[in-house]
Amino acid sequence: MIEVRGVTKYYGRTAVLNNVSMVVHEGTQLGLIGPGGAGKTLLIKIMSGLVKPDAGKVFVDGEEVTALGPVALSKLRVKMGMLFQNYALFDFMTVEENIAFPLRQKNELPDAEIRERVAQILKAVDLPGIQRQFPNELSGGMKKRVTFARAVIHDPPILFYDDPTAGLDPVTSSKIFILLERRRNEKGTTSVVITHDILGVKDICDEFAMLDHGRLIFRGTREEIENTRLPRVRQFWEGKAEL
Amino acid sequence: MSRLLAAIGARALSASTELGGMVIMLLHIFRGIFTWQMDVMETWRNLYKVGVKSFPIVVVTALLVGAIMVIQTGALVAQYDAYGLLGWGAGFATLREVGPIMIGLMFSGRVGANNTAELGTMKVTEQVDALRALAIDPMTYLLVPRFVSIVLMMFLLTIVGDLTALLGGALTAQLLLGVEPLLFFWSIDEYLLTEDLFNGLYKAFTFGFAIAVVSCHFGITTSGGAVGVGRAVNASVVASAVSIFVLDYLLTYLLG
Repeated sequence: MIEVRGVTKYYGRTAVLNNVSMVVHEGTQLGLIGPGGAGKTLLIKIMSGLVKPDAGKVFVDGEEVTALGPVALSKLRVKMGMLFQNYALFDFMTVEENIAFPLRQKNELPDAEIRERVAQILKAVDLPGIQRQFPNELSGGMKKRVTFARAVIHDPPILFYDDPTAGLDPVTSSKIFILLERRRNEKGTTSVVITHDILGVKDICDEFAMLDHGRLIFRGTREEIENTRLPRVRQFWEGKAEL
Repeated sequence: MSRLLAAIGARALSASTELGGMVIMLLHIFRGIFTWQMDVMETWRNLYKVGVKSFPIVVVTALLVGAIMVIQTGALVAQYDAYGLLGWGAGFATLREVGPIMIGLMFSGRVGANNTAELGTMKVTEQVDALRALAIDPMTYLLVPRFVSIVLMMFLLTIVGDLTALLGGALTAQLLLGVEPLLFFWSIDEYLLTEDLFNGLYKAFTFGFAIAVVSCHFGITTSGGAVGVGRAVNASVVASAVSIFVLDYLLTYLLG
């Protein structure tokens, strides 16, 4: 379970996140939506302990992320996986080295088994046989799927997906959403999915939250968001130009 | 007046921030080294990239440095018929001063700039965040191998450079002045002291240390996209070059 309590973060004098509180229950897939610059990426970076908030607390499985030292935080991060919006693949490593990286750092499995697991996950994301390629040889959609593979290969119970379908064609986007849904169904992971693709995310999330100008303006189920009377939320959900 | 004071204060604060950042980073690196938290593969990769790939340019630079030393002193040597001092003159200047300085500057331009650019790009493309998200400490994984590789290779390549420079000097002495290599090396053996060699090697170690600290610091603190990477590389090269000259002045004064 992830719990965010009164998180505030300033950049200069601007509050990029303003007193945000929410809970993501175990096994829940939360869709985090909102316009660009609303603070969504910052919020998941704070949840995962990559950024420290100026005020407020974050708890992951009962541990206060915001109070942990580097060693304890590292141990907690083993439970987490993150798919970055701009891929963040290590460009000096091959696809295989990128995906195997979390397993090799743990140093718990023999190399042959690591290679086998990489081959399996590449097959699962529909990219078999690209182990020896470098990230700069891949298309955007392929990079996203490799990033996904790297984020999930060590089976973390908590996953953060930062705009997993940004800039992708509809078919590739569908493939990514299927992967996310399968992951949730098969492994029961707790996850937060940032996206602007409302159509794609509608069916794969249990709950939705919307941020606007650093404030949490909505939190509820799909039924609740579809019936909300909040004009800003309705506008965003329905993709209308006018309120 | 108040504006001037504010500007001075801002500069002082900025310099203190950079210096403080370097000290904290250095403490992390030392902790990584002394607790042996070094990624072996990443260290090998960096040793190869920094050492093996710099080898040709160091050899070429050093050969030319040795040759230039002989050309510069050649006219005076010929005037006073002091051919027996040619090896000593060229060797003294090369080992104590010109060798470490030239290799240091070349190193800061090639290795330091590359290091800052690579770390800076990793920072702005969230690769450093990705490491942290995967429970890996970027200080240990990225900086310790780079620091060790730069310091060690700067030291070792200076030894290679010193030998190559003397060889370049001997070749030029024979070609331009007709001085036999045997006489050239006899002069080195006879007049140069071991401390002349070590004096230069202390400097090489210190220059390597400065290049490693500066390039890692500016790389890992990069922000602001491609423009930020350019700015960081520029700052890194300038700061490394200035550090080399300041340290050289201090070491020359202290070591004699």
